[in-house]
Amino acid sequence: MTDTATHVSGEKARIGAPSIAGFTEEGENLSPMNAAASPIGGDAVKAHSHGGGAGVPDSSRAGRLTSYKLEDFAPLTGREEDFRFTPLKRMGGLHKNALTGAAPVLVMTGAKAVALETVAMSDARVGSAGVPEDRISANAWNSAAEAKIVTIPAESIGEQVTLTYTGDSTEAAAAHLVVIAEENSESVVVIDHVGTAVLAQNIEFDVREGAKLTVISLQAWEDTAIHAASHLAKVRKDGHFKHIAVTYGGDLVRLTPSAHFAGEGGEVELFGLYFADAGQHLEHRLFVDHATPHCTSNVLYKGALQGKDAHTVWVGDVLIRKEAPGTNSYEANRNLVLTEGARADSVPNLEIETGLIDGAGHASTTGRFDDEHLFYLMSRGIDEKTARRLVVRGFLNEIVQQIRVPEIEERLNETIERELAATGN
Amino acid sequence: MTDQIAQESTDPGVITEILEKNPELHGIGNYEYGWSDKNDAGANARRGVNEEVVRNISELKSEPQWMLDMRLKGLKYFDRKPMPTWGADLSGIDFDNIKYFVRSTEKQATSWEDLPEDIKNTYDKLGIPEAEKQRLVSGVAAQYESEVVYHQLREDLEKQGVIFLDTDTALKEHEDIFKEYFGTIIPVGDNKFASLNTATWSGGSFVYVPKGVHVEIPLQAYFRINTENMGQFERTLIIADEDSYVHYIEGCTAPIYSSDSLHSAVVEIIVKKGARVRYTTIQNWSNNVYNLVTKRAVCEEGATMEWVDGNIGSKVTMKYPAVYLVGEHATGETLSIAFAGEGQHQDTGSKMVHIAPNTNSKIVSKSVARNGGRAAYRGLVQVREGAKGAKNSVECDALLVDQISRSDTYPYIDVREDDVTMGHEATVSRVSEEQLFYLMSRGMTEEEAMGMIVRGFVEPIARELPMEYAMELNRLIELQMEGSVG
Repeated sequence: MTDTATHVSGEKARIGAPSIAGFTEEGENLSPMNAAASPIGGDAVKAHSHGGGAGVPDSSRAGRLTSYKLEDFAPLTGREEDFRFTPLKRMGGLHKNALTGAAPVLVMTGAKAVALETVAMSDARVGSAGVPEDRISANAWNSAAEAKIVTIPAESIGEQVTLTYTGDSTEAAAAHLVVIAEENSESVVVIDHVGTAVLAQNIEFDVREGAKLTVISLQAWEDTAIHAASHLAKVRKDGHFKHIAVTYGGDLVRLTPSAHFAGEGGEVELFGLYFADAGQHLEHRLFVDHATPHCTSNVLYKGALQGKDAHTVWVGDVLIRKEAPGTNSYEANRNLVLTEGARADSVPNLEIETGLIDGAGHASTTGRFDDEHLFYLMSRGIDEKTARRLVVRGFLNEIVQQIRVPEIEERLNETIERELAATGN
Repeated sequence: MTDQIAQESTDPGVITEILEKNPELHGIGNYEYGWSDKNDAGANARRGVNEEVVRNISELKSEPQWMLDMRLKGLKYFDRKPMPTWGADLSGIDFDNIKYFVRSTEKQATSWEDLPEDIKNTYDKLGIPEAEKQRLVSGVAAQYESEVVYHQLREDLEKQGVIFLDTDTALKEHEDIFKEYFGTIIPVGDNKFASLNTATWSGGSFVYVPKGVHVEIPLQAYFRINTENMGQFERTLIIADEDSYVHYIEGCTAPIYSSDSLHSAVVEIIVKKGARVRYTTIQNWSNNVYNLVTKRAVCEEGATMEWVDGNIGSKVTMKYPAVYLVGEHATGETLSIAFAGEGQHQDTGSKMVHIAPNTNSKIVSKSVARNGGRAAYRGLVQVREGAKGAKNSVECDALLVDQISRSDTYPYIDVREDDVTMGHEATVSRVSEEQLFYLMSRGMTEEEAMGMIVRGFVEPIARELPMEYAMELNRLIELQMEGSVG
């Protein structure tokens, strides 16, 4: 046999050359954020340490590693399913460096009987509601110098507190907060993030038996902030956890709310609203873990995008384990793309290990203005600009009205107006 | 059922031994096509893959140099690429214990009478001669092991210029057109299994439909794996020239063997301007086959590609038929149906990539999991920059009939354009006591009632199939549902 690899004629180069735009001889790369693996088809991963190994599925959420130890998590490459869409270069080192910067200052207002304590990370209450589920969270856990603990007393009704994080540092920092809603309490906790920061943060929510906790987390940073937050909730028997994430500030925000049922009869509602402008990367990755019988979960996230390279990522994992018969679950994500050049990724994953469910479903839509709505409004004499604003406001209002804190609803509506005015929509 | 296998086999001793060694096979009694023929050809084939094996395959087929070069390049990528770490558990595949090329008969037969007796028997059991005799199909390419042994195309189609050949013959007789398209849709290094296929491919179908020709009745091919530990790496290439139409049907059944077999096909389809191609598969590999298939089509302006994809058999299937919509107003559609029974993992779905403006795509997926089986929908819908006015919808329905089975949905949606409309919706439901009670109060047994509910559930897809296929599907559902209650 002669060696055939030495001479390459024009025709030879043409044979088998991919005809589809964006393809190379090795297929296509579907993870443009990082030189990464694709979810489907063309496994464009270059051979690395796991190469050729056994095909153990890592796509199931049930098998995802959780640990308090940073060293248990391999250094990130960006090829991980969990970080496939996250531009690691813009993470400010939160995933790899020691987080020694000054954490944003936390101030609590509006409290009646709610206590705010500062304790050591060795306090028994730290870790009572969660375990880090990714490397950044573990890094923050190990770097945090102290923890803040907010306790809502048992049986108290109608508490509404605001916790404001104000940052002014560009050094990578870590923060830890534990919110404990004691038995049969009913409360609203607003967590506001303003100023700028490079912050990896863990927030635990311990929703005790019969407690009703509403959390409104506002990521209202200045444009330069980098923020990775893990919200870890444990919902005990008959607990009710309502979580509303509102994200419009920051250069990169990655928020991972994770709700775990730890008793029967629990209910979880996860709502979210995000508004991404040019260059912003806003990522929300949710996890609802049905591990106990007769629990209910409902998820709805809505997002608007505008401007060049505005990028939103929404991944919703719902896992219904064998141990969770009688589960009722629904999740949905809706995106409205307002201008060219923006990109919305939406992945609602649903894993069901038992047939004894009451119901489960999910939905995801991404689209632009509903031309019919627009036409209807314009036919009523409303000019196009106003009509467009009304359509976007109406689209997002489904989430805004869930907040039920008037001053925040007002602030949010103003923000939406301002965002829309900025691009002349 | 065990007795039946032994009776139908020409070598009952082998079957008995297999069943003794693998008691779990008794449980796979539902599989109807589980006989096996005496196997002289397979016994001598070599196991494992390396450069020598690849050169050998190419030499035996007297292939041109460029094809050998391509095979060797495929082998290089296969060695280098890691196994996928997502999807199903593939750790049971032992690449060194697979026969990569088995030649079952020396020359191609042109009529049923010319076929060796045992091969003819196998196909008789699958009902192919009837189909052929009745001329229900335009042509039958029956793949027995690696090479197509029987092939006939109706004369009038031939006159119209339609080419329907096994892929090996097509390479010899139509090298130019082959060279123009082979590997252009699924490149040599696309993924580990496509690379393996490129290195070791053998058999498959080649279809060329000239401009404006409508092939009114479906082209049909049956595939079988009959050698223990044999890999089946067929390669199919379909080119529908402008404004043409063809419906290609692929059916698979394989007999039961004691150790795992690998099926890794590559199907490339080019749908030119204004043409329409429908590709129907009902996959019913026996429950020890790893079915890892790459299927992809490209649609030019105004063209339509339809995948009808049924997955009933196999141990593990990972298959996501794709359509790349590269021309304006192109349409892609996938109807997917999966059954996962005991020990089965069906990881299937579809991929739609909108590259040109005003393109449409639609995915409808239905899955049923029972008796501990696992059915997953995994799909990707991507709208690239510039694909204005793209429209897509994805609907996934899953039915769970017991509490030990599992259903997953992993839909990826990636939109990089503002002027698009996308939607995904999934529901997972279980067969309710009320439904069963109602049907049973009308005199049905529980099993019949369950079967009827499942058939009703998949009806929207079954009605897209040609009649004989819809009947086959119904029969397969009945077999699948056997013993699902009580």
